[in-house]
Amino acid sequence: MVLKNFRSILIVMLVCFLSVGVARAADKSAWKIGVAVSLTGVFGKDGSLVKDAYTLWQETVNSQGGINGAPVELIFYDDKSDPATTAKLTEQLIVSDKVDLLLGGFGSSQLFAASPVAEKYQFPLISGGASSNKLFERGFKYYFSTLGKATEEVRGCVDIFSVVTPKPKTAAIIGADILFTSLACDGFKKYCQKNGIEVIHFELFPMALQDYNSLLMKVKNKKPDVLLVGSHLLVAMKTVKAMKEIDFSPKAVAFSYGPTVPKFVEDLKGDANYVIAASEWTPNMPYSGKVFGTAGDFSKLYIKRFNRRPDYVEAAAAGGAVAQQQVLEELGLKPPLSKENRIRIMEALHKDKFETFYGKIQFGNDGANEAHPPVAVQIQSEKLENVFPLDFAEAKILYPFKPWKER
Amino acid sequence: MDTVFAQTIINGLLLGGVYAAYSAGFSLIFGVMGVVNLAHGELIMLGAFTSYWLFTYFNLDPYLSAPFAMVFLFLFGYVVQKYIINRVIGQPHIMSYILTFGLHLMIANIAIKIWTQDFRSITTSYSGANVAIWGLNIPLARSVTFMVALFMTWGLWFFLMRTETGRAIRATAQDKEVARLMGVDIRNIYAITFGLGAAITGLSGSVMSPFVIISPEMGLEYTIIAFCVVVLGGMGYMPGALVGGLVLGVAQSLAATYLNAGISVAITFIILFIMLVICPKGILGKGTVA
Repeated sequence: MVLKNFRSILIVMLVCFLSVGVARAADKSAWKIGVAVSLTGVFGKDGSLVKDAYTLWQETVNSQGGINGAPVELIFYDDKSDPATTAKLTEQLIVSDKVDLLLGGFGSSQLFAASPVAEKYQFPLISGGASSNKLFERGFKYYFSTLGKATEEVRGCVDIFSVVTPKPKTAAIIGADILFTSLACDGFKKYCQKNGIEVIHFELFPMALQDYNSLLMKVKNKKPDVLLVGSHLLVAMKTVKAMKEIDFSPKAVAFSYGPTVPKFVEDLKGDANYVIAASEWTPNMPYSGKVFGTAGDFSKLYIKRFNRRPDYVEAAAAGGAVAQQQVLEELGLKPPLSKENRIRIMEALHKDKFETFYGKIQFGNDGANEAHPPVAVQIQSEKLENVFPLDFAEAKILYPFKPWKER
Repeated sequence: MDTVFAQTIINGLLLGGVYAAYSAGFSLIFGVMGVVNLAHGELIMLGAFTSYWLFTYFNLDPYLSAPFAMVFLFLFGYVVQKYIINRVIGQPHIMSYILTFGLHLMIANIAIKIWTQDFRSITTSYSGANVAIWGLNIPLARSVTFMVALFMTWGLWFFLMRTETGRAIRATAQDKEVARLMGVDIRNIYAITFGLGAAITGLSGSVMSPFVIISPEMGLEYTIIAFCVVVLGGMGYMPGALVGGLVLGVAQSLAATYLNAGISVAITFIILFIMLVICPKGILGKGTVA
């Protein structure tokens, strides 16, 4: 009886195995593109945005007849926000799943771990969700980022203070002590110095911090004109909640990342108003290119598909996918890809300039996107408005921050 | 007195009140059954989500939804104990660690599947409300949670000392064989205790919901703090959660103000380490498990 059960289990397993094989064989002509991205853990939300962006790109490309006639098939793995897992899954995609190409997930720590694997196997890896300077200081040839460097990304958030009156004189900088956010804090510091704003408090804290009140109370007591926060979504939300609880109203508060994610405004509602955030793209920017059309078209398509406005990281991720696609089209390649072809793709990515809905993409020798102006956005009446640089501004910056007690 | 110092102590006490509120259930379950419930944070998460959804769909104030969270979590805890955890009672401790860790993973991951990875927050008209007294800032929602912690500790004490079921729970905690001989239905008492522990934990999750960020994966960090609080207060001594919570809250707040925020997190574990080495029965020396 036991033996009989065992045999039937074996048969079922064999059938499953064969059917998977048949399914794989049927897709032989498709572009297999692998993505190791955080779908759970601290970056689970941010990572799932990147997944949405790639999914929309895949659907759009396939509806337009694929790349050089071959459809795109995406394989997603969840790295659980753990960099070691990202590296392992990237290797698995290359070695076991035998993907043709890769696309990058979310988070500097994750990409920092994934990129040496891509470099080793000579797979170009473009990410739209990682921008720490250290990623570009290793002499890698196969790593690319459509975002600017973390320290440069926050420039707009500080430069904006040169056009307000009265100009702030002092700043407090705090941030989570992880790769991207700590670099964002360095960037804040650098541009504060350039703008003649004195940094009177600088402190990094662990992601595990539960008590933001004590930290912010200490900052409040120093009475800085502006508060600059190196953040991800969770840190940004906790900071705003704590600021209100301890009644801390500086003249302005700016975040490196978080407020541009739609959930920030949805749940914090009016408390999110006046908040400034770094961005690299908004749908009103005058950009256009193949696949998605203009920045506005991309946004409309996004709203239709996911019922929400895209965040700049999503645009950056989709922009990277479009750049890689343009190289494949230019070289007239078809799947499966040989190693030589991947080298050609890497070379073309370094050499070419890409006009896309995300703006101009031009990768420097270190792989960072050099062609991108940093943008500052502000939440006004529970809507994100592009406020800086002034050439692209949709709305005038609201300054100073309205004190909590007067709202 | 120096305002900064006074403010730091207030912040610490309010933070400690929050810690005490969500650690009381952990202490109860551990004290009676000897189960270190590694899925404790998930009970907080479920309490907070109960309030979140009632707020989102029915616009019900989080404080009004607290009773619903209590009832829901009581039933949840009762069922989990009766059908799952009871199976490992009396087995080596490692079995309860493995089982409750498994529950932690299951509950958190099912919650991610259903509610997605989103970070959520309840913003009510009084969110972030605070009063200033003598130049000191007192956030109201946290003060309410502090009161709840006090009331919860008193309520638990009253229940355990003065009611028939409470006596049966204490008898079971002291010697389950004798309790059984005296006619106490041990399995039922365990299920009620776990249900009760879950209910007060759900209540704390609910009253914390106006000022914390809610997500399916929020649980683990709360479990870790609850463990530290209970060790500090004395494992198995129920009012210890209040003392442990307040001490830890004040220590963290002092560290964040006078040293830095990084140290305030590390100090939790430094204190835990010192306590386990020097005084494993807790600050008051009343812990039953050393």
